[in-house]
Amino acid sequence: MTTTPSPMAWLRAQARPQRRLLFAGVALGATQALLLCIGAWLVARILAHAILDRSGLRMFWPALAALAGIAVLRFIMTLAQRRLTFEAGARVSIQVRNALETQLRRRGTQQSSGELVTRLVDGIDALAPYYSRYLPQLAFAALVPALLLLAVLPADPWSALILFVTAPLIPVFMILAGRAAQQASQRRWDRLKRLGERFMDALGGLTTLRLLRAVEREQAQLAVAGEAYRRETMAVLRVAFLSALVLEFFATVSIAVVAVLIGFRLLWGTLGFEQGLFVLLLAPEFYLPLRVLGAQRHQRMDAASAAEDLVAWLQKPHATDPVATRMTHAPRSMAPVAMRFEHVAFGLDERMILQDIDFSVAAGESITLVGASGCGKSTLLDLVMGFGQPDSGRIRIDGNDLEASDIADWRARIAWVPQRPHVFQGSLRDNLLLAAPDADTQAIARAVQAAVLGPVIKRLPLGLDTPLGERGRGLSGGECQRLALARAWLRDASLLLLDEPTQHLDTTTAQAVDKALERLAAGRTVLRVAHRLEAIDDRDTVLVMAHGRIVERGTAGGLREAGGVFADLLAADLAA
Amino acid sequence: MKHRKATSESTIATLRRLLGLMRRQTPWLLGGAALSLLSTLAGIGLMAVSGRFITAMALAGLSDAAINYYTPAALIRLFAILRTGGRYAERLVTHEATLRALSGVRIWLFERLVPLAPARLGALRSAQLFARLRADVDALEQAYLAILVPVAVAILASLVVWATMLAYLPVLAAAVGILMLFAGALVPAWIVRAGARPGADVVAADEALRALAMDGVLGRAELALYGAEAAHAEHMRRLTRTQQSARRRVDRLQAIGGASVTLAMQWTVVAALALGIPALRSGALRGPDLAMLVLLGQAGFEALSSLPDAWAQLGSTLASARRIFALADTEPALRDPVAPAMPPSGNDLCLRDVRLRYHDTGPWVLDGIDLDLPAGRHLALVGASGAGKSSLVHALTRLYPHQGSITLGGTALEALSGEAVRARIAVVDQRPYLFHASLRDNLLLARPEASDEDLNAAITQARLDDCVSRLPQGLDTHLGEDGARVSGGEARRIAIARALLADAPILVLDEPTEGLDATTAAALYQALAQAMRGRSVLLITHRLGGLSALVDEIVELAHGRVVDRRAPVSGHRPAQQPSTN
Repeated sequence: MTTTPSPMAWLRAQARPQRRLLFAGVALGATQALLLCIGAWLVARILAHAILDRSGLRMFWPALAALAGIAVLRFIMTLAQRRLTFEAGARVSIQVRNALETQLRRRGTQQSSGELVTRLVDGIDALAPYYSRYLPQLAFAALVPALLLLAVLPADPWSALILFVTAPLIPVFMILAGRAAQQASQRRWDRLKRLGERFMDALGGLTTLRLLRAVEREQAQLAVAGEAYRRETMAVLRVAFLSALVLEFFATVSIAVVAVLIGFRLLWGTLGFEQGLFVLLLAPEFYLPLRVLGAQRHQRMDAASAAEDLVAWLQKPHATDPVATRMTHAPRSMAPVAMRFEHVAFGLDERMILQDIDFSVAAGESITLVGASGCGKSTLLDLVMGFGQPDSGRIRIDGNDLEASDIADWRARIAWVPQRPHVFQGSLRDNLLLAAPDADTQAIARAVQAAVLGPVIKRLPLGLDTPLGERGRGLSGGECQRLALARAWLRDASLLLLDEPTQHLDTTTAQAVDKALERLAAGRTVLRVAHRLEAIDDRDTVLVMAHGRIVERGTAGGLREAGGVFADLLAADLAA
Repeated sequence: MKHRKATSESTIATLRRLLGLMRRQTPWLLGGAALSLLSTLAGIGLMAVSGRFITAMALAGLSDAAINYYTPAALIRLFAILRTGGRYAERLVTHEATLRALSGVRIWLFERLVPLAPARLGALRSAQLFARLRADVDALEQAYLAILVPVAVAILASLVVWATMLAYLPVLAAAVGILMLFAGALVPAWIVRAGARPGADVVAADEALRALAMDGVLGRAELALYGAEAAHAEHMRRLTRTQQSARRRVDRLQAIGGASVTLAMQWTVVAALALGIPALRSGALRGPDLAMLVLLGQAGFEALSSLPDAWAQLGSTLASARRIFALADTEPALRDPVAPAMPPSGNDLCLRDVRLRYHDTGPWVLDGIDLDLPAGRHLALVGASGAGKSSLVHALTRLYPHQGSITLGGTALEALSGEAVRARIAVVDQRPYLFHASLRDNLLLARPEASDEDLNAAITQARLDDCVSRLPQGLDTHLGEDGARVSGGEARRIAIARALLADAPILVLDEPTEGLDATTAAALYQALAQAMRGRSVLLITHRLGGLSALVDEIVELAHGRVVDRRAPVSGHRPAQQPSTN
């Protein structure tokens, strides 16, 4: 099921749903070629009669009017064709964008680099020209010469033969010499890109370079790299442009040969002037589509390199199945949740993350999870939120299997303070309302107060309405965390998931937040991940995790005395 | 009207400045354009001579007159060769010129941006602005190949075609001149104006879409948990539709530009026939010349066919160039003194009433700091986030200007060159930047002449051994984009190794253990203790914990001021901590 298609195959597959649009566009282009033939025939006829028969202009007015009309008709058809093929490209990009969104939904919280995704998103824009320009042109490059050949054949079989022989030579030669050239131009493309990347990397790390006093060295290296890239690239280009040279050679030389042969046969009287002119007028048009195709090859390369990223990403296995609406529709309840993990195991990318997790949390109980980083604490929270389903075992919520219940309903009962909360583009208010779209001013004010967000709002130029830029620009890590706390407060949920909520806070704020959390936790079930063991109250119930398993359970005080894993962790933490 | 004149002037000024940057490559640039013109004219000439040739041959064949067919046949061969070879040479030369010019432009930009980092380069910290800067630099690549050459060739080749027509049939030259202006200037100018709005819409939609996509990735868990995924997807779809409709308008305009050239070309043929046939009958024009003019008209527009695309790109390329120039022209936040003082022999740092703010009207981030860091002393600087700890590093390393006095070994920091100051201070950044290069190269940045032994010693000291042995190619492993292959804790340790290699007498550690688990952090303390020996140290953290064993004094910072100084209590533990013994 997950055999990855090659980028080119994937690109072609995306065109399939749009083939009607593409066919229509290509049909319009082919019709234009027909009009082109008629136009050339008219021009040849007028010229022949005017030069040989010395006919007056009056005789030609209808034909000239027809020529002008054909020009207008072709103008309109060009616009129509571009519109159709643009639509095809636009629809493919919408299609892929939706696929990407679906994949993101399925992957849930699995880590993915933001940079990579910007590249993917930008890559989608590189796809459109492939469908709106390159693919139609590919069809024209095959169709138009064939049509023109059919038109030339009755007028002058000899010229038709020359065109017929040289035309296939071009693709054949391009395939023979061109396979290397193709690779070469691909390499050139990569090189140009890498040169740019190197430069941007240097700019990105400019402050570091200054601090390390490496600016001048880097500048010299940039110059050297630019020079080296240029030499390498030019070596590649000398080969890559050969295919264009071949194309140009055949196109130009065969026009010259056709012209000379026509000339001599006219001299010998074995060919009509009108026919000869007609062929000469069409000869350059014969090679034009191929030439345009060559100029558009970069669109194909851009699309192919974008497709490579996209295919790899869209085909990645994901943790969750698409979240379909599940059967049991429990009414939203504010009562604290009782939760039970029954021998839950969970793996990702063939690596086991959680194994044999078995514990229960009574309604209204508060439990703290501890363990070295990477032991699976956050994954456990992910499973509770339905970002992934156990490979084996089950999670029961108030006795019901989580997998069989409506995930949206379940999530509506959860409030979550993650380690690194995301701040969305929009105002601070928008960011709060995400948790409770219907919250009124009073509710917001209460949440702001509870999360000690007041001083932050006072600092921001427009208060609650200050737009927060990319990745919460303008907010520090601790402030982002307090924003998430306010969200949790607004949520008013029955299960509270806290992932070290006071990590980035200074002592005073941390104490204020802790107090607020205590109030929030009253009457709710709480699952809390703690990184700083020193702050855990002796009476708290603690689950100690190591390598994906629960290794200890008990009160913090009891575990400390027992001298097991928890005591070791605590000792390390204290030494730190 | 006035406004338009102003923009057109700045258009010319921007173009001139852009060309000025590439001045050193003038022979290549001109050579490429000349070759392009040559091969274009050869192609046009080939068609015109061919038309004339076959007509003359046909007339000779009918009248049985003698004809010199050697000259035109030779001309046809010559044009064919010039065309073929010229195109190949043109491509090589124009690309050579582009690569040379571009590498020069990049170095120039790098040079201009260095003194601006980081105080004036907010663009580099935002992924969005950074992406735009990258696109801008790439767009300059197109300035010569896709705009300057096609425009120059179109103008010159059209002039040649037009002059030829003028020589044979002036009235036709008048008509064709109008058609050329229509397709080559009027329509493109209208397109540029009509396309400004949708073009700006496309840019805005692209940017909004990128931001939204970013939210969709990084905020996915929140979206899912708060049931906002459907709304997010709908927002995305709506924005995509906006983007597509703006693009549709742009594409339509471009299609009109291209189709107009073809239209004008066909009408030129009609004009050549309608004006040429009476001239033929009156004897003002001969048959072969009429055929030549018709084919000249048809082929002559080839030079114009690349104009619409060039025009379409002109606006965005100029905008890119303007943004880059504006960035490069930014006044640095601080400049080195014209005649820097000799670096002092001592390394005592002394701060008196130091103030710093990031904007002229912004709040004081440092608000009167007094601090002494005598050589060899270890100082911890603690305080909440936003207390001004990192700003102090910026002032010390001469990346941001400060008020008040900072002296190094008795010499005012402002009297020294920034390089001299930074030679004394090694910084381990809170978020170290790792270059898209091998681990070795990343380390060598700090000391290019370091031997493998030096590197290994620094690696061991920074507790990087495990990390290095885990990497597939050890020291030569490529770290990938922004160090994507190493964890945050490892990146921090790489930065520590760098600082150790830099071997400066003053070491500044900005949150060295943040994000490390307790075991790793504990191991790192030992490494740090060793590295700190014999150096002055400024240790910045919001949570001291076990680090307190490493320092002589603790200075607490709040709201840009020193609020407390104390000696570390040996065995100091947070208050709520139950005793472990």
